[in-house]
Amino acid sequence: MLLLAMLSEQSWAAGARGAAKSALAPLESAMTQASRNLDRVTSVLGDISALRAENQRLQAADVALRRQVIELDAAAKENASLRQALDFKRTFGHTMVAAQVVGRGPDGFSSTVEIDRGTADGVRPGMIVATGAGLVGRVREAGPHGALVQTLADPRSRVNVYLAKSGLQGTVTGGPNVLHLEIEHSLGVKPSTGEWALTSGVGSGYPRGLVVGEVASVAYRPASTSDQALLAWVNEPSSLSLLLVITDFVQS
Amino acid sequence: MKRLAIASVLLAAVLVQVTWAPRLTVAGVFPNLALVAVIVITWTAGVRKGMAWACVAGLLLDLTAPGPIGPHAVALLAGAYITGFWIRNLDRESVVHPVLAVAVSTIAYSFVLVVVDEVLGLPVPPFGMALQLVIAACVYNAALMPIAMWVVRRLQAPTTRPGVAV
Repeated sequence: MLLLAMLSEQSWAAGARGAAKSALAPLESAMTQASRNLDRVTSVLGDISALRAENQRLQAADVALRRQVIELDAAAKENASLRQALDFKRTFGHTMVAAQVVGRGPDGFSSTVEIDRGTADGVRPGMIVATGAGLVGRVREAGPHGALVQTLADPRSRVNVYLAKSGLQGTVTGGPNVLHLEIEHSLGVKPSTGEWALTSGVGSGYPRGLVVGEVASVAYRPASTSDQALLAWVNEPSSLSLLLVITDFVQS
Repeated sequence: MKRLAIASVLLAAVLVQVTWAPRLTVAGVFPNLALVAVIVITWTAGVRKGMAWACVAGLLLDLTAPGPIGPHAVALLAGAYITGFWIRNLDRESVVHPVLAVAVSTIAYSFVLVVVDEVLGLPVPPFGMALQLVIAACVYNAALMPIAMWVVRRLQAPTTRPGVAV
């Protein structure tokens, strides 16, 4: 088994590994669909279904509005500091492929989701995945008709961010319940709760300007070179269903 | 026929684990149905069969996880081996022992998973976070074990004579 693990990890085996992994995708898709149908049947009782749909619509509208506010804030900040002069691509200038979540990682160590789009649809490993609300993660592996996406909730995820109001830079680490943010100290500026964190583009791992989350709490450490904060992820991991794969951003 | 039935149960357990079970997430973890199923098989059918089915279930889990194919199979093998050690030395009919066995097997499973990732040069979660996830998974899987054992014993009841171990 260890030998198999070592062999399947090799780059020349990536195609076969991806194909093998997408073999279960149709079954997972059928299972997820059955689950959704069951949900639909049970919610027929009373007005639960209508109320849920209305609630989801309002939540989606709320999320979209909040995203617009954050992006406007961020854009204003960038304009003020003349950062727009830099050649960063704006988030919504990208080409995207919509994908449905059909399964999730098998345990808490791998907070991943499986989507129903693969190499046949132009999805490749390394591509960025988002929702209308903000960043979800990155495609780790892709087969012909399915791909595995490592979400920000995965303890192994790392994203460089900046805070919309204070402009401070930091690194977000994944976590099962909340995201952990390490914020670099800057003279005379302090991070505060309620600030929004957006991808900074530093390291060229993610496009600049994607919303990651809201600072929930900050632990100031004057004796250190950084402060620790908890970040409420803008996406609810358990409710991820429709994702957007950004197909024209290449990690450098 | 029996093998086909067990294979179907394991496939169903893995599919439920990666589609429905995440809705039951508590403290970052959800039921590891494949692990519970393998421990139940090991407890009732013996360590050799348990380890064989651990490979099958592990490979199925590997197909749903990122990274190489094999780490989950190795991790489940460790869990089945520990359970096998347990049943050779302790009372099989006890309700407490399977619960403890699945809790210890969960620790072994998680430990092996992290070690294999480390050996293969893959990123591993920070120690504190891993510990929190392991403890939560232990409690969750242990809570499921009595239900799983009850179901299996009910299914075995008509074909098993009293006092004869399976």
